[in-house]
Amino acid sequence: MKKVRRKIGKYEVGRTIGEGTFAKVKFARNSETGESVAIKVMAKTTILQHRMVEQIKREISIMKIVRHPNIVRLHEVLASQTKIYIILEFVMGGELYDKIVQLGKLSENESRHYFQQLIDAVDHCHRKGVYHRDLKPENLLLDAYGNLKVSDFGLSALTKQGADLLHTTCGTPNYVAPEVLSNRGYDGAAADVWSCGVILYVLMAGYLPFEEADLPTLYRRINAAEFVCPFWFSADTKSFIQKILDPNPKTRVKIEEIRKDPWFKKNYFPVKLGEDEQVNLDDVRAVFDDIEDQYVSERSEITEGGPLIMNAFEMIALSQGLNLSPLFDRHQDYVKRQTRFVSRKPAKVIISSIEAVAESMGLKVHSRNYKVRLEGVSANRVGQFAVVLEVFEVAPSLFMVDVRKATGDTFDYHKFYKNFCGKLGNIIWRPAGTMPNSNLRKQMTL
Amino acid sequence: MGCCCTKQRVDQKDPAVLASQTYFNLSEIEALYDLFKKLSSSIIDDGVISKEEFQLGLFGSSEKRSLFADRVFELFDSKNNGVIEFGEFVQALSVFHPAAPQTQKADFAFRLYDICQRGFIQRHEVREMILALLNESNLVLSHEIIEVIIDKTFEEADSKGDGRIDPEEWQEFVARNPSLLLRNMTIPYLKDLTTQFHSFKLTSGIEDCTSRSSTSPEKDNILELKDNFNGVSIN
Repeated sequence: MKKVRRKIGKYEVGRTIGEGTFAKVKFARNSETGESVAIKVMAKTTILQHRMVEQIKREISIMKIVRHPNIVRLHEVLASQTKIYIILEFVMGGELYDKIVQLGKLSENESRHYFQQLIDAVDHCHRKGVYHRDLKPENLLLDAYGNLKVSDFGLSALTKQGADLLHTTCGTPNYVAPEVLSNRGYDGAAADVWSCGVILYVLMAGYLPFEEADLPTLYRRINAAEFVCPFWFSADTKSFIQKILDPNPKTRVKIEEIRKDPWFKKNYFPVKLGEDEQVNLDDVRAVFDDIEDQYVSERSEITEGGPLIMNAFEMIALSQGLNLSPLFDRHQDYVKRQTRFVSRKPAKVIISSIEAVAESMGLKVHSRNYKVRLEGVSANRVGQFAVVLEVFEVAPSLFMVDVRKATGDTFDYHKFYKNFCGKLGNIIWRPAGTMPNSNLRKQMTL
Repeated sequence: MGCCCTKQRVDQKDPAVLASQTYFNLSEIEALYDLFKKLSSSIIDDGVISKEEFQLGLFGSSEKRSLFADRVFELFDSKNNGVIEFGEFVQALSVFHPAAPQTQKADFAFRLYDICQRGFIQRHEVREMILALLNESNLVLSHEIIEVIIDKTFEEADSKGDGRIDPEEWQEFVARNPSLLLRNMTIPYLKDLTTQFHSFKLTSGIEDCTSRSSTSPEKDNILELKDNFNGVSIN
C-alpha cells in the first residue's frame, strides 16, 4: 500500500497532535531544514462564520512580534483555498502539567526555575503590550532540554476547549484573577501576575489553591484570596506567594518587584535575548486580506416553506427538566411523555412517512406546516388518544422529530410509540453501531 | 395543629408583601402556599423544598437527575442556601406568570443557560446543554453536527462577534424568536390558580373538575379559602 505524503508548502505533514474548538494541530517537518514544526490548521469558513478575521489576524501578528526563548515561536502563516495554516515551533517535551501529574509536586528549586522562566516570558510580552489572559499549566510546554515554553500567547481565544458533559467548569476559573471574574475592566499585567502565582502554588503543592465543588464558593474564595499554604512551603515561599495572590490588583506585587525579591533571585540566570529582528508581517496580511475578499462574496440561501429551523436554545428548551408544568398538573403522569427521534431524510419524506404509517395503524391524520396530529381510540377502547409530532431542522439535512402525547393514557402512548417507530424504522437515523431495538427498549425502561 | 400551622406561616414572608412584589394576588398566593406545602412535605415535612422534593415534583422520582432541573432549582433558591423557601418560590414563579413581560422571562432564561454564572453564555455551556438534552432523549449526534448547530446559533445570537452571548445580545435574540425560545417560561396554570385550587385536593383518578364560577364578594372568597385550609390541617 502506497503511503500518500501530504505536503503544505515545504512542510511534510504527519499525525494530528491536538484538537481544539477552532483548529487542529498537526506534526510536520520542514523538508528543507529537517526542523520539526506544529501546524495549526483552521478552516476559512469557520473563521468567517465567527467573524474572527480581525481577531486572529491581530493575535497572529502578536505572536510574530513576541520572540523569546521561553515562548513558543510562530514561524509563518500560509493559506490554501479553504484553510489557514499557522506554522509553530514544535516543543518535544510535552506539558508541564503532565509532569506535575506524574510527580505529584516539584521541589522548591525546580519550581523556582520554571517560575523564573515563566516570569521572563511574561515580562517580555508585557513590555510589548501583550497579555496572555489564559495562563495555566496546560499552556506551559517543556522542550527537549527541559526549558519552559509558554504557548498560545495571543492565541488563547483560538484554543478554548469545550467542557464535556460531566463537568460544569468554565475552562479554568481556578487560575483567573478575582478582578477578571467580577467582569470589571482589568489590568492585563496584574491578571497575568495572579495566574503566575497560582501556577507557582500548583508546582510546589501539587494541587490548586482554589478548588471548590460549587462555583459560588470558588468565586468567593478567589475574591477573598482565601487559601492555605501546605506545611512543606518554607516561610519565604509562603510570604512570596502571598504577595502575588493579593486580591487587590492595585496592591498586588508587580513583575519588577518580583524580580527584586530574594526568593526569585536565587539561582537566577537572566536569559539571553537575541537582537530584536525586523518582524515581517507580509505573510499575515497576504493570508487575511485574501480571506476578507471571500467574506464579501458569501451568500446565504433562503429556503421557502421548510420546517422551522431550530437553534441550540430551542433544542434545549425541549428538555423535560425545564418544563415546570408537572408541579401544577395533578393529573400529569410521571412516566416520560416526551419522545423524539432524528432523521436524515428530507422533511417532506418524513411527513409523508408519518402520515402513511399512521393511516396504516387506523389513526386519523391532520397535517399542517410540518406539524402532524394523530388521533385514535386507545387500546382498551375506553378513551380518546392523540399524539402531536413536529419536525424541526437542527442542522443541514438533519431533522429532529418531537413526539408528544396530547391526550390519553401514558402506557397506551408508549405502546403506540414503540409500534410507530418500528414501522418508521427506515427514516429514523441511528449512528453506526447503535442497535435499533436497544434504543426503544431503553426508552421504555426509563 | 392550628398553632403549628400558624407558626409556620409567621416564618414565611407576608402574603401582602409577596402580592405587591409579584403578579399574583392575595388569593393566588394562598393557593400557591397549599402547593408549596405539598411539595415541601413530600419527603420531609420541614417547611422548605429540598432538591429531592423538587425532583419528585417534576419527574415523579426524587432520584432522577437533570442538568436543567438543577439550574431551575438554583435560580429558585435565590438565597443560595440549598432549599427553596416559600417567599423564594413565589418570587421565582412570578416570572412564569402569563402577565410577566417577555424581557423578564428572557432574563430568567438567560440566567438558566449561563451555567457558569459569569454573566454571559459561552459555547461550552451550550454544548453541555445540548448533550444533556440528547442524553435525556437517548439520541446521539456526532461532535461535528453539534458544532454546526452551535455555530449556526452563535451566528444568529452573537451579534458583537466576540464568541459569547451577553444579556443585551440575548434580549435582541429572544425578541426575534420568542415563541420557541421562551416556550417553557410561561405556565398557563398560574393564570387560573384560584379556580384550579380545588383540584389540588382531588385524587388523580378523577379526570375533570368542575370549576366554581362565583359572583360572591371577595371577602366571602377569603373566608371559603380559610375554611378549606382548616379542613386540610385537621386531616
